[in-house]
Amino acid sequence: MGVLSFSAGTLGAFSLIALAFPFISLFTILWRSKDSLGHIAIFNAFISFIASFIVFCCVWNKEVIHLQTGWFTIGENVFTAGILLNNLSVLMMVLVSGISLLVHVYSLMYMKGDPGINKYWAYLGLFCFSMLGLVVSDSLLLIYIFWELVGFSSYLLIGFWFTRDAASQAAKKAFIINRIGDIGLLTGLMIMYAQFRTFDVVKLFGPMGLVDSASIIDGIWISPVSQMPVVWLSVAGFAFFIGAMAKSAQFPLHTWLPDAMEGPTSVSSLIHAATMVAAGVFLLGRVYPLFDSLVFNVIIIIGVLTAFLGATIALTQNDIKRILAYSTISQLGFMIAAMGIGAYGESIFHLATHAFFKCLLFLSAGAVIHQLHHYKEHHQLEFDHQDIRLMGGLGKKMPVTFISMCVAAAALAGLPLTGGYLSKDAVLITSFEWASGYHGFKKLVPYVLVLTSWLTAFYIARLIFKVFFGKLRYEGITEASSSMSRVLIVLAICSLFILVSFNPLSYEGSWILAGFTGSGVKPFEVFHSIVPIVVTIGSILMVLIGFRIYAKRDGRTFREKGFFYRFSNRAWYLNEAYNLMFVKPVERIAHYSYRFDKLIVDGVVNLAGAGMGVLSRVADWLDRYIVDGAVNGAAVLARHTGNFARQFQSGRLQHYLITMLTLVVGFFILTYFI
Amino acid sequence: MDYILSILIFLPLVAALLIIVLGSSFRERFKYIALAVTVIQLFISIAIYLDFSSSTAFAGINKESQFQLLEKIPWIRLDLGSIGKLEIDYFLGIDGLSMPFLVLSALVMFVATLASWEIKTNHKAFFALLLLLNTAVMGVFCALDFFLFYVFYELMLLPLYFLIGMWGGARREYAAIKFFLYTLFGSVFMLLVIIGLYFSVINPATGNHTFNMILMMDPSNYIGNSIFSTVANQELFGISARLLAFIVLFIAFAIKVPVVPLHTWLPDAHVEAPTPVSIILAGLLLKVGGYGILRVCISIFPEAAVQSAWWLGLIGVISILYGALNALAQTDLKRLIAYSSVSHMGFVLLGIASGTVEGVSGAMLQMISHGGLSAMLFFLVGMIYNRVHDRDIASFRGLALIMPQFTAFVVIAFFASLGLPGFSAFMAEAFSLIGAFTSAEINGLLPRWMAIGGAVGILLSAAYFLWTLQRMFFGQTRLKGGDIWLSQLKDINIREKVALVPLAVLALALGIFPSLAFSKMNASILAFIQLFSG
Repeated sequence: MGVLSFSAGTLGAFSLIALAFPFISLFTILWRSKDSLGHIAIFNAFISFIASFIVFCCVWNKEVIHLQTGWFTIGENVFTAGILLNNLSVLMMVLVSGISLLVHVYSLMYMKGDPGINKYWAYLGLFCFSMLGLVVSDSLLLIYIFWELVGFSSYLLIGFWFTRDAASQAAKKAFIINRIGDIGLLTGLMIMYAQFRTFDVVKLFGPMGLVDSASIIDGIWISPVSQMPVVWLSVAGFAFFIGAMAKSAQFPLHTWLPDAMEGPTSVSSLIHAATMVAAGVFLLGRVYPLFDSLVFNVIIIIGVLTAFLGATIALTQNDIKRILAYSTISQLGFMIAAMGIGAYGESIFHLATHAFFKCLLFLSAGAVIHQLHHYKEHHQLEFDHQDIRLMGGLGKKMPVTFISMCVAAAALAGLPLTGGYLSKDAVLITSFEWASGYHGFKKLVPYVLVLTSWLTAFYIARLIFKVFFGKLRYEGITEASSSMSRVLIVLAICSLFILVSFNPLSYEGSWILAGFTGSGVKPFEVFHSIVPIVVTIGSILMVLIGFRIYAKRDGRTFREKGFFYRFSNRAWYLNEAYNLMFVKPVERIAHYSYRFDKLIVDGVVNLAGAGMGVLSRVADWLDRYIVDGAVNGAAVLARHTGNFARQFQSGRLQHYLITMLTLVVGFFILTYFI
Repeated sequence: MDYILSILIFLPLVAALLIIVLGSSFRERFKYIALAVTVIQLFISIAIYLDFSSSTAFAGINKESQFQLLEKIPWIRLDLGSIGKLEIDYFLGIDGLSMPFLVLSALVMFVATLASWEIKTNHKAFFALLLLLNTAVMGVFCALDFFLFYVFYELMLLPLYFLIGMWGGARREYAAIKFFLYTLFGSVFMLLVIIGLYFSVINPATGNHTFNMILMMDPSNYIGNSIFSTVANQELFGISARLLAFIVLFIAFAIKVPVVPLHTWLPDAHVEAPTPVSIILAGLLLKVGGYGILRVCISIFPEAAVQSAWWLGLIGVISILYGALNALAQTDLKRLIAYSSVSHMGFVLLGIASGTVEGVSGAMLQMISHGGLSAMLFFLVGMIYNRVHDRDIASFRGLALIMPQFTAFVVIAFFASLGLPGFSAFMAEAFSLIGAFTSAEINGLLPRWMAIGGAVGILLSAAYFLWTLQRMFFGQTRLKGGDIWLSQLKDINIREKVALVPLAVLALALGIFPSLAFSKMNASILAFIQLFSG
């Protein structure tokens, strides 16, 4: 690759091109006609991939490129926007754009004839744009922006078939649970800003960055510009981790991911492979220097628990996509746990291999679903075309899908010759090496992970055998169209060891791992031979058991009842629990707060108003009967007096004379007799 | 143009007079007159924006010489004998705190006028009142003389009372009176403070008492033993007179904002008001409250504001959460949006209370952003109500199928309001919260948990908006009114697009290039912070 060499500015421009082209796809939404603009979208994805690839070749293991420009100013503080290209970001770039290109090509046939097809391309473009933006951003603020845009575009895509209630509910759930993570991330941002007065990732987390140079003295976390109690260091770590938990579907924030299966399968594949769920792991990688030992312990516990939980639930699911969804949750647990034990490079390595085989698993499942759906429509049948209990024997009719899915399943199960084998071994071996230095619960970590990988081998074997082996139910079903199966073949090749390492049996030669600094744990040679052998033998045994039960179907099977079965099948009853613990109470609080608002707050106002009314009526009464009464009384008095006096002026002479006589006589009587 | 602010303020008044004079044969043209006025205002305000100097030499706030587009004409001069000479000026001017509101007012008025097409009765009175309201709102944002400010401030009430009371819904009289009394309650006490300030402050140039707000911000202009003197520490009812005055002014403006628990006029007024009035109420009237707190309460009584900052922050957080929870419980779309306004305006208060540059910048941006977005939301609700005379969330389902473009605008407005990055509300809310959080280090005004409490409001806002989307717009179409509604629910028309597109563009532009607003406000906000928390 020595031929390619560009200046930093040019590479920056290339990475912007990689971002800009998917964004252009967004404008296909304005296209009124029903004709698909798929070729334009694919072209955009292609350009994006090429640009990403060039950037990757020029940056990987070479210089770090950091370009930025002023964005806005608040007070004296200039906020910058820019791109940071290092090994982590360029690897993610090429992964995201590569997977997205494949999904684009696949979608051309898979989504053919959908009435909202151009909306689909637009959302897909936005999704890739957001994810690429996320990985190249150089500031936490920008990361947050793209972070939420990823959530938003996933909302649009999960709810793509919005007329289905389940889809729109799943979309809402995904967004709201991701919002919980966003609040965590935002809290992290606030703490970082308060403590360091910048969002610049390089300044904060770079070598000799602000986070490194901050010190802890007497329980106070002191940075060059500010200080706060040390507990906020842990809070910041937790806050970022909560963000990662929501996006990367870690317990307890994982419940949105299985529901997100309501979206088109191609979208699921994109969400699960390269975009969205990878974002959480990526974020942990970006803010890695921030975590203290307390946070690391929590990360490990959550990661291991999630890995185990996902695998146990996947054991009993019957929806083909849900099995894969829980397997993603489980695999993400591996990555998160690896991050927690300090195996940064191993975690990213597993992220990369997982991207390919998980994408392939979904697209193969999509091919099965697509063909069954068409078969169903063609024969006017009515059955659930995602239920693996209703499938069987498809291997002969859909050979390409079958073989590709077997490769992907082998990679997931961690069988040799696949990329998944290498990366899973990397995580497992490092965890054993790490645990040998500790006591207590940390000793358990590698064993739980091994147990989980055995479970993984079992549930994916169950899926393969149920779908592709056994008696064929649907005569006349055909292989998926060539443009779809070609994508599967490409991905199947990418899922093999050759993409990541020349040595099929040892991960140490992998070029991806070499791109990141080591975990720093003391190597133990003995683990490097024992662990792979034990794990592989266990996994193969699991596959064989699965074969006995599900492929040969000789009657030996598990009872599909009992507490453990239901516990697993209902996904540990977590949805029900959340509904009871959070959703209902919030609804009730909202209801009561509105009642409070109406009855108490507004009641006081209305009472005051009514009180005024009463007062005014009292005043009215007083006015009418007392004040006015006095006035009227005076008037009445005057009138009566007037009436009385009026009689004196009747105009009759006799009256006057009588009156005068009376007065005069009266006067005399008064004067002389009294 | 020396008198450009006067032109901006009184142009609508002239048009209102014209409408009153014109005969009823012109009644179909009144709306065009009103629209033309708002378009001219929009151009003027944009010109003012472009020409506005953002250098620190024109920061404004408490320095009269730094204000831009100053107009100062002696207005009322009355010899009051022993008390001195009454000195009231016609005194206008703008700085970074008021200029953005001029642009916002012009834009919101434009949209409100376009929404007035739905008005079917008594055009003459309606448009005359609308234009009168326009004058009052513009005047409030420009006035620098407290007496003049109060005149414009009260002048806003009159047209609003009639606009709600005459063109409103079923309970319009109740709503109008409630609104009127609520706000009057605040402003009556404000008048007492204004008089107290008048007798406390001396204009050093003339030796007279003065209503000049800028002079009121300088402690050296107060008479030594006057009621609001900063040195005399006068007390009323056992508390510091200045603190009491601050509280009284704050309550007056807080009613407008509105903050919990002084908010209950808002849902009623919104629900009963016709669409254009709702737009103006949410888009501008609430901002007058926030602006008043910045310009009057805090600028004149900064030390009392510092003393009360903790309570202001608390009220802000409570408003955010309480408003959002109430919104979650609503069944009427318009009421839901009204409560969401309470929640979003809580961020303004929280940002202001932080006393940090980030917080106040966030609060200012939130006011501008919410001004545009709430106008957009109420316009959208009005569109549905206008078509079928129903706004119950439960009456609609699957609107996206029959009104796709309308739904697209709703999605934009909802997501912008719930703080999706790329839209203005995100920047505004993020920086309000960041400011509130950093306050603990910078000036110690607010504890850190308040910022985190406010952040929970962002989650709740996602919940109520997305739930509404899911219930009303997604799923299979099912309408309470059946096929009749189906024919009435036409998708968006040109006039409606003309109104909505500028608002969406504003939200997007400020979200991606927040410096469009920040750069013009920065110097003033720095000066304001200097005055507020030192």
